[in-house]
Amino acid sequence: MTTAYRHWEILERSQTGPFMDEDDFLPKHFTPTLKKLIKKYDIKYDPENPCPTDDAMADRIWQAAWELFRDVGYYNTDSHRLIQVTDEEIREALYMAHDQYWVGAGKDAVLWKHRQIEDMDPPFCIMSPDITCDEQYHQSICMAYLKEPLLDGICGPILEKTFGHLIESSGPSEISGCIQHITNQKLAARLLGRPGTFMVAVGTAEHDSGQIAVSDQEWGVQKSDARLVGSLTEFKTADTLLNRSLHYAQYGCFTGNLTGAIYGGWCGGSEGTAVTTVAYSLIGLVIHGAVFNQHFPFHLNYGSNTTRELLWSIAMAGQALARNSRLLHTSNGFANAGPMTEMLFRETAVHAMVSTVTGWHLWEMASTRNKYKNRATPLEARIGMEVGHAVARQGLSRAEVNDISKKLLAKYEDQAADAPIGCEYHECYDVAKAVPTQEHYDMYRRVKDEIADMGIEFPF
Amino acid sequence: MSLEELSKFVEDGETEDAQALAEKLLKDGVNPLEMIAEMTRTMARVGDLFSKLEIFLPEIMLAGEALSGVVEVMAPYLEEVGGQEVKGKIVIGVVKGDLHEIGKNIVKLILETNGFEVKDLGYNVDPLTFIKEAEAMGADFIGASSLMTTTMPRQKEIIEILNAKGIRDQYKVVIGGAPTSQMWADQIGADLYCKDAKSAPELLTNLTQR
Repeated sequence: MTTAYRHWEILERSQTGPFMDEDDFLPKHFTPTLKKLIKKYDIKYDPENPCPTDDAMADRIWQAAWELFRDVGYYNTDSHRLIQVTDEEIREALYMAHDQYWVGAGKDAVLWKHRQIEDMDPPFCIMSPDITCDEQYHQSICMAYLKEPLLDGICGPILEKTFGHLIESSGPSEISGCIQHITNQKLAARLLGRPGTFMVAVGTAEHDSGQIAVSDQEWGVQKSDARLVGSLTEFKTADTLLNRSLHYAQYGCFTGNLTGAIYGGWCGGSEGTAVTTVAYSLIGLVIHGAVFNQHFPFHLNYGSNTTRELLWSIAMAGQALARNSRLLHTSNGFANAGPMTEMLFRETAVHAMVSTVTGWHLWEMASTRNKYKNRATPLEARIGMEVGHAVARQGLSRAEVNDISKKLLAKYEDQAADAPIGCEYHECYDVAKAVPTQEHYDMYRRVKDEIADMGIEFPF
Repeated sequence: MSLEELSKFVEDGETEDAQALAEKLLKDGVNPLEMIAEMTRTMARVGDLFSKLEIFLPEIMLAGEALSGVVEVMAPYLEEVGGQEVKGKIVIGVVKGDLHEIGKNIVKLILETNGFEVKDLGYNVDPLTFIKEAEAMGADFIGASSLMTTTMPRQKEIIEILNAKGIRDQYKVVIGGAPTSQMWADQIGADLYCKDAKSAPELLTNLTQR
């Protein structure tokens, strides 16, 4: 439901809603309300079960999230006003939301459908390195991801430079970098014979001007593609963000809502992270008219979400959304380790299996805490998507996934703080051919066999 | 009623109780320098718990608020004994084009509670504003945070403007933020890369002693 008409009411509220000092919004409004709701709905983190089976708690998290959004509102840092919505408006938006969309174009179009908990339909697979890369590798990395058979959609790496110039947000170099980004990505798709592949683009745009510059049906982001609009931590927006959602709606592409609730930050622990993540889906739908939500809750210190306190939040948020809405939502993995390490393959597998069985679609994989240039490859995304397909096709239960994920967690969890950063793309991929090196492939194969021995039946 | 109880109030973020007790203790003759030393130890403990995420951001923020309340009460008493030692003055902000400030806010709190005088410039701060504010404050440090790769070049611009104005040697430029690194700090000629909030007070102190 991309509802351009609704934007005008929202924009008006961001000018006329109740005033609040930004310094007070999080400590005196957001966090106290969230804490009360966690208590009211008796939401409790269980470290023993990273993938819990608890339908009743999932429903309580949904209710808490609804009330969090309704009672706190959404803060515009430019106007210092709260955008508030009513129960009726949330209900209307949920009623109007479609549970499936055709995305991408022509023969490459894919039907993206809402998933249930323990759904036997495989997740929709968006592959993305999420990191920045050197200009000379950008085309090759796009090609390498687009070679992946299970890819349903791609979000390409972020350019740091354009024609040798460092890209500066909101400046002309950003406009150039954004155009270069989408040009590389579209060319890669055409050369590989999948020109209509669904794209979420462009990550190089930090500013609204960069996004708006690439809206073009011929050479740019097309109407069969999607763009993201983010939030500021937590529950805050700004005019530069609202500009995006209005533009996306009026241009006619799909809008995705990008949010990462921070564990250890204003949300507090796992309970608050789960509630906030679900509430962000409602914000995406009602405020931004998003057709899907892209969530990456992460650990304040590690910048990752593959340790148990975050897996629990992801699992419970997924169950709350799957049971109580028809929305589409992707679970974006953030790993501690870097490419060509066994730890990264295991982290991705755990993130993918927990997300899949709890109703999410997949967005894999931000490696190396999403911090280091060139440190992400399609092979870790591949293992994540293969695990997702296997878990769904096999019909694994949450309890079974819980057991397997605990075995895998035991192999890497204590290394989270000092995870190996692995290799850069060009050290484990043949850049010209855009394929993994034998050493890298062998490591992937070894970990895949290890996971298979734990009870995951890969389809191939 | 003791300094230990005052510590507990601060740790629990009970500002009003902490202020009332601090006032009473000072009137009863407790040495304000002893009190500030106790508060420093308390915040070090709170900071340690936070760095391990045994407590979360709202709790450390409340403790910081309680500490500020106590320091306010202590101010006239500290004046009498020669004032509180300020370890350094810093202007801190998130660079232009970047609206993400959670990391900067944590660093600010940790520095304040460790004896630094901090002027918070907020987010989306123009490079020249950092410099003008540093001049106005008589700052020792300029702290610039960036969360996005496309806003990192703004950290470099601060250094370039300092060079252009011929005042580079008057300030230590400290950078931080998720995508930044020691390599980036070296590349742009920053004086210090701060990888996390916890290490900031010690690193800044060491820098002044070089």
